[in-house]
Parts: sequence; C-alpha cells; structure tokens
Amino acid sequence: MKKIFTLLLLSVTFISCSSDDDNTDNNNNQNVDAPATYQFTRNGNNTVSYSGQTQRIAMAEELISALKDQNRDEASLDAMFAHAEGDQDFSDPNMLDLNASSKNVRSKTAASKDYFDSNSTDANAIKANFDSWISSQVNDVFPNWGNTASPGNAGLAQELGGSIRYVNEKGLEYNQAVAKSFNGAFLADQICNNYLSSAVLDAGDNVDNNDNDVLDVGKNYTTMEHKWDEAFGYLYGAEEDETAPVLEADSFLSKYLYKVEADSDFTGIADDIYDAFKLGRAAIVAKNYTVRDEQVEILREKISMIIGIRAVYYLQGGKSEIANGDLPSAFHDLSEGFGFIYSLQFTRNPMTDAPYVSKSMVDGYIDTLMEDNGFWDVTPETLDQMSEDIAAEFGFTVEQAAN
Amino acid sequence: MLKKIFLSITFSIGFMFACSEGDDFDNSQNDSFDRGNLQTNLADNIIIPAYQDLNQKLSLLVTAKENFLTNSNQENLDLLRNNFLESYMVWQSIEMFNIGKAEEIFYHYQMNVYPTNTDEIQNNITTGNADLFNPNNNDAAGFPALDYMLYGIRDNDTEILNTYNNQDYGQDYKNYVSALIGQMKSITEIVLNDWTTAYRDQFIASTENSASSAVNKFVNDFIYYFEKGLRANKIGIPAGNFSSSPLPHTVEGYYVRETSKNLTLKALNAFQNLFNGTHYNTNDSGVGFTDYLNYLDRNDLVNLINNQLDEARAKISILDDNYFDQINTDNTKMTEAYDALQTVVVLLKVDMLQAFNISVDYVDADGD
Repeated sequence: MKKIFTLLLLSVTFISCSSDDDNTDNNNNQNVDAPATYQFTRNGNNTVSYSGQTQRIAMAEELISALKDQNRDEASLDAMFAHAEGDQDFSDPNMLDLNASSKNVRSKTAASKDYFDSNSTDANAIKANFDSWISSQVNDVFPNWGNTASPGNAGLAQELGGSIRYVNEKGLEYNQAVAKSFNGAFLADQICNNYLSSAVLDAGDNVDNNDNDVLDVGKNYTTMEHKWDEAFGYLYGAEEDETAPVLEADSFLSKYLYKVEADSDFTGIADDIYDAFKLGRAAIVAKNYTVRDEQVEILREKISMIIGIRAVYYLQGGKSEIANGDLPSAFHDLSEGFGFIYSLQFTRNPMTDAPYVSKSMVDGYIDTLMEDNGFWDVTPETLDQMSEDIAAEFGFTVEQAAN
Repeated sequence: MLKKIFLSITFSIGFMFACSEGDDFDNSQNDSFDRGNLQTNLADNIIIPAYQDLNQKLSLLVTAKENFLTNSNQENLDLLRNNFLESYMVWQSIEMFNIGKAEEIFYHYQMNVYPTNTDEIQNNITTGNADLFNPNNNDAAGFPALDYMLYGIRDNDTEILNTYNNQDYGQDYKNYVSALIGQMKSITEIVLNDWTTAYRDQFIASTENSASSAVNKFVNDFIYYFEKGLRANKIGIPAGNFSSSPLPHTVEGYYVRETSKNLTLKALNAFQNLFNGTHYNTNDSGVGFTDYLNYLDRNDLVNLINNQLDEARAKISILDDNYFDQINTDNTKMTEAYDALQTVVVLLKVDMLQAFNISVDYVDADGD
C-alpha cells in the first residue's frame, strides 16, 4: 500500500514516500499527552458526543425498574426493550427524548461487530433469553406477587432485614437477571467488542479521514473520534459531568465500577479506566494508533474485570447468606451473580481476543445454578468451585473479590 | 482512497524519510498483474454467455406464455411454470453483474425485487397498461411478480386456471402476465446487446485502479451483491437478521415455495465460479480473482474464501427446499447459513479489497 507520510514540522514540510507496511512504525511512538479530563475540542468547540448511549442507558434503567411493577403487561415491557421511534414507552424523567428516539436496547444486545457480526445464531439465542426473562416475570412471577415462594413455586421471599424479593420457582429474580446481564450483553459488549474494535474504529475510510481531519457531515468530530466517544458513553453516559465522573451514575457498569473501586484490592481501577479512555481519545486526535490500541487493551481488560469480580463477589455473598440461614438474601445475591455470570461471555481478554469465560462455560454455570430447584438447593461447594474457576480465568483470587 | 495518507504533526525538526521500494504486495496500484486478462475472461466467458443464456431462456418463456394465453389449460400452465423456473435459475448468475447498461437502466430493480407487492399487482391488473418501467412498479414486476401470477393468485391450480379463463377479467390477468414477460425479455435484450456491441470493449479496457474504473466498480458490485442480494435478501431478511422477528413471507420464490433453496445454491455457485474465473456453465477455468490474489501472494486468502464458501454451501444444503417452512420450523438453521455467508462478506469486503487496494464504494449504516 502506498503510504505518504506528511509531517508538518513546525514550518518545514518534508514529503517522502515509504513502502513500509506497518504504519505504526512511522508514528515514532511519540508520547501522547492526555488532557486532565475527558474534554476535547476542535477550534474551540466540543467534539465529544454520545447522546445515543445516554438514551439507551436511560431506557435500560426504566425497563429494569418496570420489571418490578406487577401491574405491567408483557407488551409494555417488550416495547421498552425493543422501543420503536415515536412510541410512548418511557416516562423519561430526565427529558432525554427517549420516546422520540430511534434507538433501543434490544438491537444493541449481543450485537457487537467482533462477537456477533458472523454469529447471529448465538445473538438471537441471547436476545431470546432476555425476552424469556421478561416474559416469565410477567407470566410466572407477577401472578404470584402476593404468595410466599417455595421450591418449585414462584412468589415473594422476605430477607431477614425485611426486604422483599420476588423470585421464580428456582429462587431467581428475573429483574436482576435482566439488569445484571445487561452489564455484559449490552454495555461491555458494545464497549469492548464493538466501539473499541478495529473493525469499527478503522472501518472504511476512518483512518484516512482521521489522519486528514475529515469530519462527519455537519459534525465537529471525525468518525473515529465519535466511535471512541460512543464507547466512553456506555460507561459515563449517565454522568452529570463527563469531566468529573462520580460513578454510580447508573445501575450498570458505572455502579459496579464504583463498587469495585471501593474494594481496596482493586482501588485504582476507576482511574485506570478513565485515564485509558482519555489517553486513547487523545491518541486519536494525535493520529497515534499505537498508543490508542494500547489503551484499548487496558480498557478491555479492566472493564472485563468489573464483571469477573462482581460475579465472584455475589457467588460468595450468596454462600455467606446460605450459611446465615437467610435464603431470601442468598436468592438476591445469587440472582445478581446469575446476571454477572451471564455477562462473562461478553468479556474480552486482550491476550486472546476471546471472552475470559467462554459462552459454553457460561451456559454450563447457568445450568448448574438452575439445576433441580435452583437456588433453593445449590450447595456452598458448587458456589466455591464456580468462584475459583472464574477468578482463575481473570487472575485474581476469590478472597480479593469477595470482600 | 487508494493511498493511505498519514499526516502527523511533530514538534521536533529533522525527520527525513527515504524512498524505499520494498516488494509491497499491498501495492496493487503498482502491481503488474494484467487486469485486462481478468476482465476479458469475465466478459467473454462468464458475463456475456450468462446473458445469452438468460435471453434464450426468456425467449422460451415468451413462447410458453403465448401458448398459455391461447389456451389456458393445466398443461400449458405447467410448461409456462417450468420455463419460469428455468429462467429464474439462470437469473441467479446475472444479478451480480450490475454494471454498464444494467446499472444505467436499473435492470435489477425491474427483474427481482421481492417480496412482490400483490396489492399493486392487483391494481395494475385491474387498471391495465401499467408502466412497468416506472420505479413505483419495481415491486410489481419481474420474477417475483410472475411467481405470484403463476402460483399465488388463487389457492389451487383449478382456481388459477379459472381466473385466467374468466370471461370478465381473465384477459386482464393474461395481459399482465404478457406485459411482465415482455418487459423482462426486452430489457434483457437491451443489456445483452450493449455488452456485445459496445460495452464489452469498454469494460475490458477500463483496468485502472480508480473509483470509476470498470474493474473497481465490478469488484465492488459483486461484493455488494454477495452482501445484499445473496446474504441479506435470500437468507438474512427472511430469517429476521434485520428485524425483531423472522419474516418468512419475504423469501425468494415465496409463491412457488419449493424453490428458494435451489435459487440460493445456484446463486452461490455462480458467485464462486466468478471468483475462481470458471467459465459459465462449463468447468473450464480462466483468469479469476483467485489468480489476482495468488499473484499478490495471497493464496491463503483464496483458500479461506473458497473454504468458507463451501462451508456456507454446506449450511444452505441442509435447509428445507422451502424456506418458508424452514423458518417456521427451525429458524436457527437459517441464521447459521446467514452467519456462514457473513463470514465470507468480511473476507471479501475487508481482506480481499485490502489485498487489491480497492476502496469500498458503499457503506453500511449501522452506527448511532
């Protein structure tokens, strides 16, 4: 490929040709200076945009909240998941124009370029899992809202502290299954396997256009810059101020990054992630794709860690509650764990470009948890073994994740 | 963009790059592969023979139609249907050549837009003298409209024949069948004649690597065809890959039903033969895209693409002849076929185009 490297050397410009195959060799690996915050401008105007991500996160929030409203029907919940432009599906308290939006969550569930572009068969099965959890919540759990749950029977389960959980016949809270599985199937998949993917960042003429500051029509950003911002938006899109994220701004990755950061074994992860987003974005501005790709690797690893750590955390939490004799509390922990385990198949190990825990392993874990009467009779040994296996894939210990 | 232009800003003075002339296989602009040989083989041994075959099949279809209009009985209906199916099979070798006159007159849009719009067809039948060249009638013309007219207007053959023989409106139906076939024949002749008189020479001479050259456009067109006409239209759309649920009524050959798989397999074979340079309807080999890739030292990619096409064929072969039934009984097999085809798309659109150093001239809009 003919490559012409144009270097603007303050006032002197040398143009020369090179047939070197590897564009990264000629960027001199110069250091990219990241700004203090995720703030990028061009000619004084903001270039950062991710409103679609903010909208989708808000849609997912409303859906998981509505899943706990036993007066809802299935159609209205399905409509929140697979919203169609103009339908009045959302209350939209933050006035994000959710009802007018052409976007929805379902079309971005198991929908990344890298994992699902040539695997619609699995993508369909995963979407169908979400559909069935929503459907079962309405058809199996809502009708038993006032009944006490028992093995084989859906209903309510009251924790020792008083909180009431609504579970299916195996002790699983479907709203938790949906909410926690979104962390992987929707958010991490879109970030790690779609917007940070070379197949997206470098698609078509994106590199040429970014190199030459060719902006999207009517926009102040290049396509590559925007794709990066869209990855950023799935983690920080609910923040009041992207330049000073407080975390726990939504019920998904933002919340769980906050929780993991609060575990002293992992403190620093929040800065690592924010800094990598900042530096990678600055690297795109500097046209330094080596530095950019180094940040992609960091982000894939760290964001995957959030899911891995929380999966183990909740398995261990469930084990403790079983030991305490508080099964309803165990159901709640294990339901959250269920969703994080489901999310593992969407993680991205930068060393292998595959999930830290494969889909078939995840399917096996889910089957094990749901065997017989599910959470009613799952054993501490099973939960420990699963915790050890998952922790080993990521390279942390069960103890580190559990506290 | 033929060249990657890297603009980098630096604050230190003193970098100099020397010109180097490594043997860079990505550099198709300077490669000395004789694209003219490739294009000559495509034109003379694949494209023109396919058009000639279709034109001949359509002539037989015209004759069968005349017989049916004269005597609308079961025997003539069966003959007409057979000629329809044979033409439809040959069409599967044509749809990927959307270049030259075909592109200019929107040939494809008049030949194979499906699902066909039966309301429009019924309206056209009633009003008569519909302008089938009008874009509004693209979904009421060509093979899919004929599929409806020969198989779908009523529930069974007796009622279909009764309709054509009806004293009040039978002639309106006959007129529409006649108009459909007449148009398909005439526009096919236009495209074929252009190839044999003028366009062939233009096509084989336009070898440069530029966005407007015939070879670049052709490469883009046949990849676009694979992605849209083959992968999406035949499998993906009916299997629900682009909608929230499957759309079995959108299969190709919806009214005849038992032919969807055969049409897909025929199209896949035609595509693979084109890729390999295999002459139309023979096993003779000529210069194909495989030779170009081999020349660029990318026989790895040749093998990958051929193996993945074979894999896709295997996935399609196990489908029901009748996609409508397949979708309604086990749609997973449809999406597995789609996934196998999609894997080929990536190889063609990313790897092969990079090897040829040809830019994609169409984009798929899947962003936010």
